Amino acid sequence: MNILLALLLIFSNPSDKLKIVDPWMRVGAQGQATGLFFKIENNSDKADTLYKVEFEPAGMVQIHETYDAGDDMMGMREVGQIVILAKSTFELKPGAHHVMLMKLKQDIKKGFVGNVTLHFKKAGKILIKAEAKEMMKKQSMEHKH
Amino acid sequence: MKNQLKILFGLFILLSVNFLTGCYEHFPLDQDLTRTQNTFLNQDSVKVQFPKIIKDKITVLAMVYTHCPDICPMTTHNMFLVEEKLTDDLKDKVKFVVISFDPNRDSPAVLKKFAEIRDLSFKSWTLLSGDEQNTTEVMLKFGIKAIPADSSYDENGELSYNVIHTDRISLIDQEGKLRSNYKGSTANIDVILEDIKYLGK
Repeated sequence: MNILLALLLIFSNPSDKLKIVDPWMRVGAQGQATGLFFKIENNSDKADTLYKVEFEPAGMVQIHETYDAGDDMMGMREVGQIVILAKSTFELKPGAHHVMLMKLKQDIKKGFVGNVTLHFKKAGKILIKAEAKEMMKKQSMEHKH
Repeated sequence: MKNQLKILFGLFILLSVNFLTGCYEHFPLDQDLTRTQNTFLNQDSVKVQFPKIIKDKITVLAMVYTHCPDICPMTTHNMFLVEEKLTDDLKDKVKFVVISFDPNRDSPAVLKKFAEIRDLSFKSWTLLSGDEQNTTEVMLKFGIKAIPADSSYDENGELSYNVIHTDRISLIDQEGKLRSNYKGSTANIDVILEDIKYLGK
Protein backbone atom coordinates (compact mmCIF):
# COMPACT_ATOMS: atom_id res chain seq x y z
CA MET A 1 0.00 0.00 0.00
CA ASN A 2 2.82 2.33 0.93
CA ILE A 3 4.60 1.48 -2.33
CA LEU A 4 1.46 2.26 -4.30
CA LEU A 5 1.11 5.60 -2.53
CA ALA A 6 4.75 6.44 -3.23
CA LEU A 7 4.31 5.55 -6.91
CA LEU A 8 1.20 7.71 -7.09
CA LEU A 9 3.13 10.62 -5.64
CA ILE A 10 6.03 10.13 -8.05
CA PHE A 11 3.87 9.88 -11.15
CA SER A 12 1.22 12.34 -10.15
CA ASN A 13 0.59 15.22 -12.53
CA PRO A 14 2.95 18.08 -11.65
CA SER A 15 0.05 20.45 -12.21
CA ASP A 16 -1.46 19.11 -8.98
CA LYS A 17 0.98 21.44 -7.30
CA LEU A 18 -0.03 24.32 -9.53
CA LYS A 19 -3.67 25.27 -9.22
CA ILE A 20 -5.61 27.64 -11.44
CA VAL A 21 -8.35 29.34 -9.44
CA ASP A 22 -11.36 31.45 -10.53
CA PRO A 23 -10.63 31.72 -14.25
CA TRP A 24 -12.86 34.12 -16.20
CA MET A 25 -12.70 36.25 -19.30
CA ARG A 26 -14.32 39.56 -20.04
CA VAL A 27 -16.93 39.68 -22.79
CA GLY A 28 -15.65 40.88 -26.14
CA ALA A 29 -16.94 41.39 -29.66
CA GLN A 30 -15.64 39.67 -32.79
CA GLY A 31 -12.61 41.51 -34.19
CA GLN A 32 -11.94 43.26 -30.87
CA ALA A 33 -9.81 42.31 -27.86
CA THR A 34 -10.54 41.21 -24.33
CA GLY A 35 -8.82 39.99 -21.17
CA LEU A 36 -8.49 36.64 -19.40
CA PHE A 37 -7.95 36.54 -15.65
CA PHE A 38 -7.21 33.87 -13.02
CA LYS A 39 -5.16 33.11 -9.94
CA ILE A 40 -2.18 30.75 -10.06
CA GLU A 41 -1.50 28.95 -6.79
CA ASN A 42 1.96 27.44 -6.71
CA ASN A 43 1.97 24.94 -3.85
CA SER A 44 5.30 23.41 -4.80
CA ASP A 45 8.66 24.40 -3.40
CA LYS A 46 9.94 25.52 -6.81
CA ALA A 47 9.08 28.58 -8.87
CA ASP A 48 7.28 28.05 -12.16
CA THR A 49 6.76 30.25 -15.19
CA LEU A 50 3.68 30.88 -17.32
CA TYR A 51 5.08 31.59 -20.79
CA LYS A 52 2.34 30.87 -23.30
CA VAL A 53 -1.45 30.81 -23.47
CA GLU A 54 -3.61 29.33 -26.22
CA PHE A 55 -7.23 30.20 -26.89
CA GLU A 56 -8.57 29.07 -30.24
CA PRO A 57 -11.17 31.86 -30.75
CA ALA A 58 -8.41 34.49 -30.52
CA GLY A 59 -6.19 35.33 -33.48
CA MET A 60 -3.41 36.44 -31.17
CA VAL A 61 -2.77 35.86 -27.44
CA GLN A 62 -0.23 37.73 -25.32
CA ILE A 63 0.61 37.99 -21.64
CA HIS A 64 0.27 41.63 -20.63
CA GLU A 65 0.39 44.00 -17.75
CA THR A 66 -1.52 47.23 -17.29
CA TYR A 67 0.60 49.96 -15.75
CA ASP A 68 0.28 53.49 -14.48
CA ALA A 69 2.00 55.69 -17.07
CA GLY A 70 1.75 58.83 -14.91
CA ASP A 71 -0.19 62.04 -15.57
CA ASP A 72 -3.53 60.16 -15.16
CA MET A 73 -2.58 57.87 -18.04
CA MET A 74 -2.65 54.09 -18.17
CA GLY A 75 -0.72 51.83 -20.51
CA MET A 76 -0.37 48.20 -21.39
CA ARG A 77 2.67 46.22 -22.38
CA GLU A 78 3.52 42.66 -23.25
CA VAL A 79 5.51 40.92 -20.50
CA GLY A 80 6.14 37.60 -22.23
CA GLN A 81 6.05 35.51 -19.07
CA ILE A 82 5.00 35.49 -15.45
CA VAL A 83 7.07 33.85 -12.72
CA ILE A 84 5.10 32.32 -9.87
CA LEU A 85 7.38 31.97 -6.88
CA ALA A 86 7.39 28.79 -4.77
CA LYS A 87 4.56 28.56 -2.22
CA SER A 88 2.89 31.69 -3.54
CA THR A 89 -0.14 32.88 -5.47
CA PHE A 90 -0.05 35.21 -8.45
CA GLU A 91 -3.27 36.90 -9.50
CA LEU A 92 -4.01 38.07 -13.02
CA LYS A 93 -6.73 40.68 -12.53
CA PRO A 94 -8.30 43.78 -14.08
CA GLY A 95 -5.94 46.73 -13.97
CA ALA A 96 -2.88 44.52 -13.54
CA HIS A 97 -1.42 41.44 -15.26
CA HIS A 98 -3.80 39.73 -17.66
CA VAL A 99 -3.85 37.55 -20.74
CA MET A 100 -4.80 39.66 -23.73
CA LEU A 101 -7.03 37.84 -26.22
CA MET A 102 -6.77 39.77 -29.47
CA LYS A 103 -8.42 39.64 -32.89
CA LEU A 104 -11.35 37.61 -31.59
CA LYS A 105 -12.77 35.33 -34.28
CA GLN A 106 -16.20 35.29 -32.64
CA ASP A 107 -18.28 37.19 -30.10
CA ILE A 108 -17.47 36.22 -26.53
CA LYS A 109 -20.84 36.76 -24.91
CA LYS A 110 -21.83 36.54 -21.26
CA GLY A 111 -22.03 32.88 -20.24
CA PHE A 112 -19.69 31.63 -22.99
CA VAL A 113 -17.27 29.05 -21.62
CA GLY A 114 -13.92 28.89 -23.39
CA ASN A 115 -11.21 26.22 -23.32
CA VAL A 116 -7.83 27.74 -22.57
CA THR A 117 -4.42 26.03 -22.53
CA LEU A 118 -1.82 27.46 -20.19
CA HIS A 119 1.84 26.52 -20.74
CA PHE A 120 4.16 26.41 -17.74
CA LYS A 121 7.89 25.65 -17.85
CA LYS A 122 7.67 23.03 -15.10
CA ALA A 123 4.02 22.02 -14.80
CA GLY A 124 3.62 21.77 -18.58
CA LYS A 125 0.21 22.21 -20.18
CA ILE A 126 -2.78 22.93 -17.99
CA LEU A 127 -6.22 23.02 -19.56
CA ILE A 128 -8.82 25.30 -17.97
CA LYS A 129 -12.33 26.50 -18.73
CA ALA A 130 -13.07 30.19 -18.33
CA GLU A 131 -16.53 31.73 -18.33
CA ALA A 132 -17.22 35.10 -19.95
CA LYS A 133 -18.54 37.89 -17.72
CA GLU A 134 -18.56 41.65 -17.96
CA MET A 135 -16.75 41.96 -14.64
CA MET A 136 -15.78 39.74 -11.79
CA LYS A 137 -18.64 39.84 -9.28
CA LYS A 138 -16.57 41.27 -6.48
CA GLN A 139 -14.28 43.35 -8.63
CA SER A 140 -11.85 45.32 -6.57
CA MET A 141 -12.06 48.93 -7.60
CA GLU A 142 -8.61 49.51 -6.18
CA HIS A 143 -5.89 49.71 -8.76
CA LYS A 144 -3.03 47.73 -7.36
CA HIS A 145 -0.38 45.77 -9.11
CA MET B 1 -32.91 102.07 12.58
CA LYS B 2 -30.82 103.06 9.59
CA ASN B 3 -27.87 101.12 10.98
CA GLN B 4 -30.02 98.03 11.53
CA LEU B 5 -31.20 98.19 7.90
CA LYS B 6 -27.62 98.51 6.72
CA ILE B 7 -26.61 95.45 8.76
CA LEU B 8 -29.58 93.44 7.41
CA PHE B 9 -28.74 94.49 3.82
CA GLY B 10 -25.10 93.54 4.36
CA LEU B 11 -26.11 90.15 5.72
CA PHE B 12 -28.41 89.59 2.72
CA ILE B 13 -25.58 90.38 0.29
CA LEU B 14 -23.19 88.11 2.18
CA LEU B 15 -25.66 85.19 2.17
CA SER B 16 -26.43 85.65 -1.53
CA VAL B 17 -22.77 85.64 -2.50
CA ASN B 18 -22.16 82.62 -0.30
CA PHE B 19 -25.09 80.75 -1.91
CA LEU B 20 -24.01 81.55 -5.45
CA THR B 21 -20.34 80.68 -4.95
CA GLY B 22 -21.37 77.53 -3.07
CA CYS B 23 -23.02 76.17 -6.23
CA TYR B 24 -19.81 76.55 -8.13
CA GLU B 25 -17.60 75.37 -5.31
CA HIS B 26 -19.25 71.95 -5.38
CA PHE B 27 -17.46 71.19 -8.64
CA PRO B 28 -13.81 71.74 -9.47
CA LEU B 29 -14.50 72.72 -13.10
CA ASP B 30 -16.74 75.15 -14.96
CA GLN B 31 -15.62 74.81 -18.58
CA ASP B 32 -18.14 75.72 -21.27
CA LEU B 33 -18.06 73.05 -24.00
CA THR B 34 -20.77 74.60 -26.18
CA ARG B 35 -18.69 77.34 -27.82
CA THR B 36 -17.76 74.98 -30.64
CA GLN B 37 -19.48 71.91 -32.03
CA ASN B 38 -17.78 68.81 -33.40
CA THR B 39 -19.16 66.40 -35.95
CA PHE B 40 -19.25 62.67 -35.30
CA LEU B 41 -21.03 59.57 -36.50
CA ASN B 42 -23.02 57.74 -33.85
CA GLN B 43 -23.22 53.93 -33.57
CA ASP B 44 -25.86 53.93 -36.36
CA SER B 45 -23.64 56.03 -38.65
CA VAL B 46 -25.92 59.04 -38.21
CA LYS B 47 -24.09 62.38 -38.33
CA VAL B 48 -24.43 64.24 -35.01
CA GLN B 49 -23.05 67.37 -33.42
CA PHE B 50 -21.34 67.17 -30.06
CA PRO B 51 -22.13 68.64 -27.53
CA LYS B 52 -25.45 69.57 -29.17
CA ILE B 53 -26.70 65.99 -28.72
CA ILE B 54 -26.39 66.23 -24.94
CA LYS B 55 -28.26 69.53 -24.61
CA ASP B 56 -30.28 69.77 -21.39
CA LYS B 57 -28.94 66.42 -20.14
CA ILE B 58 -26.52 65.56 -17.39
CA THR B 59 -23.82 63.61 -19.24
CA VAL B 60 -21.34 61.00 -18.12
CA LEU B 61 -18.63 60.76 -20.79
CA ALA B 62 -15.49 58.76 -21.47
CA MET B 63 -13.03 58.54 -24.36
CA VAL B 64 -11.93 54.95 -25.02
CA TYR B 65 -10.74 52.54 -27.70
CA THR B 66 -12.43 49.19 -28.26
CA HIS B 67 -9.22 47.20 -28.73
CA CYS B 68 -8.33 47.93 -25.12
CA PRO B 69 -8.82 44.69 -23.14
CA ASP B 70 -8.58 46.16 -19.67
CA ILE B 71 -8.83 49.84 -18.74
CA CYS B 72 -11.47 50.99 -21.25
CA PRO B 73 -13.88 48.09 -20.52
CA MET B 74 -13.45 48.84 -16.78
CA THR B 75 -14.24 52.50 -17.41
CA THR B 76 -17.28 51.65 -19.53
CA HIS B 77 -18.42 49.18 -16.90
CA ASN B 78 -18.15 51.84 -14.20
CA MET B 79 -20.38 54.11 -16.30
CA PHE B 80 -22.80 51.19 -16.62
CA LEU B 81 -22.78 50.80 -12.81
CA VAL B 82 -23.56 54.51 -12.46
CA GLU B 83 -26.56 54.07 -14.77
CA GLU B 84 -27.69 50.98 -12.90
CA LYS B 85 -27.68 52.84 -9.57
CA LEU B 86 -29.46 55.99 -10.77
CA THR B 87 -32.65 56.72 -8.89
CA ASP B 88 -35.86 56.69 -10.96
CA ASP B 89 -36.20 60.50 -10.91
CA LEU B 90 -32.77 60.84 -12.56
CA LYS B 91 -32.90 58.06 -15.15
CA ASP B 92 -34.31 60.25 -17.96
CA LYS B 93 -32.07 63.18 -17.09
CA VAL B 94 -28.74 61.42 -17.61
CA LYS B 95 -27.00 60.46 -20.84
CA PHE B 96 -23.91 58.31 -21.33
CA VAL B 97 -21.50 59.13 -24.14
CA VAL B 98 -18.46 57.18 -25.29
CA ILE B 99 -16.12 58.76 -27.86
CA SER B 100 -13.34 56.76 -29.49
CA PHE B 101 -9.85 58.25 -29.64
CA ASP B 102 -8.92 55.47 -32.09
CA PRO B 103 -11.39 56.20 -34.92
CA ASN B 104 -9.28 54.42 -37.55
CA ARG B 105 -10.23 51.10 -35.95
CA ASP B 106 -13.41 52.16 -34.15
CA SER B 107 -15.97 52.63 -36.90
CA PRO B 108 -19.64 53.16 -35.90
CA ALA B 109 -20.27 49.43 -36.49
CA VAL B 110 -17.36 48.45 -34.23
CA LEU B 111 -18.60 50.79 -31.50
CA LYS B 112 -22.10 49.36 -31.85
CA LYS B 113 -20.79 45.82 -31.30
CA PHE B 114 -18.74 47.02 -28.32
CA ALA B 115 -21.95 48.39 -26.77
CA GLU B 116 -24.23 45.50 -27.68
CA ILE B 117 -22.01 42.81 -26.17
CA ARG B 118 -22.13 44.79 -22.92
CA ASP B 119 -25.92 45.25 -23.00
CA LEU B 120 -25.65 49.04 -23.14
CA SER B 121 -29.00 50.59 -24.09
CA PHE B 122 -28.93 53.05 -26.98
CA LYS B 123 -31.84 54.82 -25.29
CA SER B 124 -29.34 56.34 -22.87
CA TRP B 125 -25.96 55.54 -24.50
CA THR B 126 -24.40 57.12 -27.58
CA LEU B 127 -21.06 56.01 -29.01
CA LEU B 128 -19.24 58.38 -31.34
CA SER B 129 -16.60 57.98 -34.00
CA GLY B 130 -15.14 60.98 -35.81
CA ASP B 131 -12.41 62.03 -38.16
CA GLU B 132 -8.96 62.99 -36.88
CA GLN B 133 -9.73 66.73 -36.74
CA ASN B 134 -12.92 66.41 -34.67
CA THR B 135 -11.49 63.67 -32.46
CA THR B 136 -8.39 65.70 -31.68
CA GLU B 137 -10.43 68.82 -30.91
CA VAL B 138 -12.63 66.93 -28.45
CA MET B 139 -9.59 65.30 -26.86
CA LEU B 140 -8.17 68.77 -26.29
CA LYS B 141 -11.44 69.96 -24.74
CA PHE B 142 -11.38 67.09 -22.27
CA GLY B 143 -7.61 67.02 -21.76
CA ILE B 144 -7.36 63.46 -23.05
CA LYS B 145 -4.02 62.11 -24.26
CA ALA B 146 -3.69 58.94 -26.32
CA ILE B 147 -0.32 57.71 -27.56
CA PRO B 148 -0.04 54.58 -29.73
CA ALA B 149 2.48 52.14 -28.23
CA ASP B 150 3.57 48.51 -27.97
CA SER B 151 2.73 47.39 -31.50
CA SER B 152 3.09 43.91 -32.97
CA TYR B 153 2.23 42.05 -36.16
CA ASP B 154 0.10 38.90 -36.17
CA GLU B 155 0.75 35.82 -38.34
CA ASN B 156 -1.13 37.49 -41.23
CA GLY B 157 1.11 40.54 -41.05
CA GLU B 158 -1.63 42.74 -39.61
CA LEU B 159 -0.56 45.46 -37.21
CA SER B 160 -1.91 45.50 -33.66
CA TYR B 161 -1.17 48.31 -31.27
CA ASN B 162 -2.04 49.38 -27.78
CA VAL B 163 -2.62 52.94 -26.71
CA ILE B 164 -1.30 54.63 -23.58
CA HIS B 165 -4.16 56.92 -22.67
CA THR B 166 -5.78 59.11 -20.06
CA ASP B 167 -8.01 57.08 -17.77
CA ARG B 168 -10.99 59.35 -17.19
CA ILE B 169 -14.74 59.74 -16.80
CA SER B 170 -16.11 63.28 -17.14
CA LEU B 171 -19.32 64.85 -15.89
CA ILE B 172 -21.05 67.54 -17.95
CA ASP B 173 -24.00 69.58 -16.68
CA GLN B 174 -27.26 70.44 -18.45
CA GLU B 175 -25.76 73.66 -19.81
CA GLY B 176 -22.92 71.84 -21.52
CA LYS B 177 -20.31 72.74 -18.92
CA LEU B 178 -17.61 70.26 -17.94
CA ARG B 179 -17.91 70.10 -14.14
CA SER B 180 -15.76 67.24 -12.93
CA ASN B 181 -13.28 64.54 -13.98
CA TYR B 182 -12.85 61.18 -12.25
CA LYS B 183 -10.40 58.32 -12.68
CA GLY B 184 -12.21 56.06 -15.18
CA SER B 185 -11.21 52.47 -14.46
CA THR B 186 -11.17 52.86 -10.69
CA ALA B 187 -13.94 55.43 -10.33
CA ASN B 188 -15.81 55.72 -7.07
CA ILE B 189 -19.36 55.15 -8.33
CA ASP B 190 -20.95 56.75 -5.27
CA VAL B 191 -19.06 60.02 -5.75
CA ILE B 192 -20.26 60.27 -9.37
CA LEU B 193 -23.81 59.46 -8.29
CA GLU B 194 -23.71 62.17 -5.61
CA ASP B 195 -22.52 64.72 -8.18
CA ILE B 196 -25.25 63.70 -10.63
CA LYS B 197 -27.80 64.03 -7.84
CA TYR B 198 -26.46 67.51 -7.09
CA LEU B 199 -26.88 68.56 -10.74
CA GLY B 200 -30.32 66.97 -10.93
CA LYS B 201 -31.74 68.93 -7.98
